[in-house]
Amino acid sequence: MFKHYKNGIAILILLFLLSVVLIACNSDTDEAESEEPDNTEETEDPVEEETDDGAEEEEEEPASDEPQSGGTLTGAMDTAPAGVFNPIFYEEAYEDNILAFTHESLLSQNENLGFEANLAKDWTINDDNTEITLTLEEGVTWHDGEPFTAEDVVYTYKAMASPGYVEAGGVRTEYVVRLVGYEAFNSGETDEFEGVVVEDDYTVTFKYTEPNVTILKDVAFPIIPEHIFGDVPVAEIPSHPATLNAGEVIGTGPFVFSEMLEREQYVLTKNADYWKAEPYLDQIVWRIVDQSVMLGLLENGEIDFIADPNGVPAADYETVAALDHIEIIEQTDFGYQLMGFKTNHRTDADVESGTIEPDNWVPNEDMSEQLVRQAFAYAIDRQAIVDNLLYGHGSVINAPIAQQFWAYDESAVTAYEYDPEKANSLLDEAGYVDTNDDGLRETPDGEEWVVNINYPTGNQLREASAPILAQFIEEVGVQVDLRQPKEMTAYVEDLTNDNTDWDIYLIGWSLGSGDPDPSGLWKSEAAYNFGRWNNPESDQLMLEAMQAPEAFDQDYRAEKYSEWQSVFSEDLPALLLYAQNKIYGFNERLNGVAPMPYGFINDPHLWWVSE
Amino acid sequence: MYKYIIRRILVFIPMLFILTIMVFGLAQLAPGDALTGQSLADPNVDPEVYEQQREALGLNDPIPVQYGRWISSVAQGDLGNSLVFNGRSVAELIESRFANTLYLGFFSLCITILVSIPIGIYSAKRPYSLLDYGATGFGFLGLAIPNFFFGLIAIYILSIKLGWFPAQGTMSAPGVTGFEAFIDRIHHMILPGITLGLAGTATYMRYMRSEVLDVLGSDYIRTARAKGMSDSSVLYKHTLRNALIPIITLMGFEIGVLLGGAVITEQVFQYPGLGTLFLSSVTNRDYPVVMAIAMILGILILIGNLLADIFYSIIDPRIRYD
Repeated sequence: MFKHYKNGIAILILLFLLSVVLIACNSDTDEAESEEPDNTEETEDPVEEETDDGAEEEEEEPASDEPQSGGTLTGAMDTAPAGVFNPIFYEEAYEDNILAFTHESLLSQNENLGFEANLAKDWTINDDNTEITLTLEEGVTWHDGEPFTAEDVVYTYKAMASPGYVEAGGVRTEYVVRLVGYEAFNSGETDEFEGVVVEDDYTVTFKYTEPNVTILKDVAFPIIPEHIFGDVPVAEIPSHPATLNAGEVIGTGPFVFSEMLEREQYVLTKNADYWKAEPYLDQIVWRIVDQSVMLGLLENGEIDFIADPNGVPAADYETVAALDHIEIIEQTDFGYQLMGFKTNHRTDADVESGTIEPDNWVPNEDMSEQLVRQAFAYAIDRQAIVDNLLYGHGSVINAPIAQQFWAYDESAVTAYEYDPEKANSLLDEAGYVDTNDDGLRETPDGEEWVVNINYPTGNQLREASAPILAQFIEEVGVQVDLRQPKEMTAYVEDLTNDNTDWDIYLIGWSLGSGDPDPSGLWKSEAAYNFGRWNNPESDQLMLEAMQAPEAFDQDYRAEKYSEWQSVFSEDLPALLLYAQNKIYGFNERLNGVAPMPYGFINDPHLWWVSE
Repeated sequence: MYKYIIRRILVFIPMLFILTIMVFGLAQLAPGDALTGQSLADPNVDPEVYEQQREALGLNDPIPVQYGRWISSVAQGDLGNSLVFNGRSVAELIESRFANTLYLGFFSLCITILVSIPIGIYSAKRPYSLLDYGATGFGFLGLAIPNFFFGLIAIYILSIKLGWFPAQGTMSAPGVTGFEAFIDRIHHMILPGITLGLAGTATYMRYMRSEVLDVLGSDYIRTARAKGMSDSSVLYKHTLRNALIPIITLMGFEIGVLLGGAVITEQVFQYPGLGTLFLSSVTNRDYPVVMAIAMILGILILIGNLLADIFYSIIDPRIRYD
């Protein structure tokens, strides 16, 4: 090491002397001469380079404090947006990458996921949380120069409550169903929507039929312009030019969606009149780049950042980290992968009619045994999966609430650390022992016991985890039937119509950052409760956590969720495998980046590039 | 000749009809529908919403009813709306992709023809020469290398490392027009065009070589030579015409393959064409788009074969259609 260092210095001196000689010799042939020293510098020792870098940094330092205006930034995503650039109709994360620059909500979420002022500067909520009155920022204009007013807010919610909204392809009804007068307006009985009311140009009131625990989340939906869509029938909004075409999509955000080369490039140009402050960047260009080429382009500087929804693959982390000009931000994703147990199955009749009625469910033998589920949890080394499949870029979680939420409580849950001994003893205790000495456990009735595992294709990590899980379970003496993976759409159909023989299923969820309420996935009647887990205590706790007036107090909710998490963790309807990390990679010339827990794009008007 | 063409087209109409029934039936037999996959994307959305949309889209109707609805709107010239791309018409979705696919397919076919035929002829004229061995080696390599792999290597070396060609897409920026746009498009098409044409080039070269060799050994060529005909007129007047016939048959099929089978190349180069649209529509169960593309491909294969038949009669005067 030291020797190399010495050699390096020697070579350096030699090269320096040589270049001096060369300069002296060739002082007349200036072209060749000016190139020579450059070349020698490149071949020089790292020591020299370090001092070089140091000098550059010093030079750049004053510049890097002071944001510079101008410049273009290029981002990459691996799949093109479907092309519906309208907050009330889009459904994919890829559109999000455009709409996050162009549209804004009344409230935004801070790094602790609390709601704070955005287009609304102030708000008051009445005592029983049925009404919220928001005061809007004045002087905000749409990209086309029209003023932003309370009418736009009313219009946005009214559009989502209109009859025909769902039929036209909209899915965001969760934001409006609880508003006063939704039923009457949606069924077409009346033209008046009482749920959202204009007080004056810059004041708007939302009225809910019931006390609303998640009132702030419900008013934080991106606003669309009334003066553009006001006269358009809701069924025509998805195919309206202001929804589809670059240059015609109008929002209030810091960037204007100005040009596109469909499925290849999406150009956002700065909105010089942005109400918060003029953005530093002139342009942000999204390029659609194949996953396999993305890192190469990041390396050679053709693209500047890789962010949501997929980020840098965990397997490539080291490669990207080794690039000097690329910075990495890593944070936990909302969402998790799980190994679910089909504790119950529905009856044929219920599947046929689409009813979800826990009273009719048929317990799935063996999987309905709590001890068996716990034993499987102990049998699986999840940390090893995180370390090897995710290269350590993820975490083992034990409760189905995103770790970023105030509601997540690690202390309330059983950790289920890898313990095959314990798994064996739990299975013995449950009566699943090897009675015929074939090395495999039989059911308590002495019958052959085979546990089937079903999983979908599409997510490579999940696909890779299935055989590993099967192996872990086999190691505690259980015969496993690892079924052929199915394509996602076909898989979901089988998962939903669960009058089958399924025991274990794999699935992943990406969760919203708005509110931690887990009832949409784990309540017994919830359609997405694919395990058909039926635990009255869990249902009760989730209900209480959302029940007014106690639930207005976040601490109270946190307490209920903590209890719920311990119930979940003990009864274990599903073993949560891992929460993956988001890995954002960006060129060091990009400054001012401050990702939020839920996304990379935050205050892009403060982003700037140093050239 | 015209009668023949019209007859061929008339025969094709019932075939197309059967094709639509088969594709529609098979597509419907696959489990799940356009909304099944979407429902998992966001657990906050009430599944009831998707049920309402299914009802509105008529996805709950019996398959023959759905087919009837589809075929009657197609008969009126309306290909319908995509089920996945909210509110976008199928015609509009296909329009831009179809042009891209057509350009790329034509470009790659040109490369294929310009490279394979001369080399094939040359290696047949001088078999076992250095160039012949080189071409044979290249032929095997071209057939053996998977498309996507060749594409990635080409991108890595020629685009990322050397920066000669753009790596992705069809143009370098939106809003470029005129001649500049044309040059830009060609520049973007070179790598995907070569990648797409690689296997075809190798195949044609092999065919051309063996065909020319075959014809050169036949009696009428010996007769021609005996008459004292010059080497070049033997080659171009007598040999080439006869040797081209099988190539043209191949090419007739190739048109359909080029337009429909470019999925992998399109994916690697993020070149938005029909292939990737077809693939994503099948996985998303977007029937209206799947049906429309299947029909387009069917029609193109007919045209390809028809063109091949017409070319036969031009190249070989003995072939007459009436």
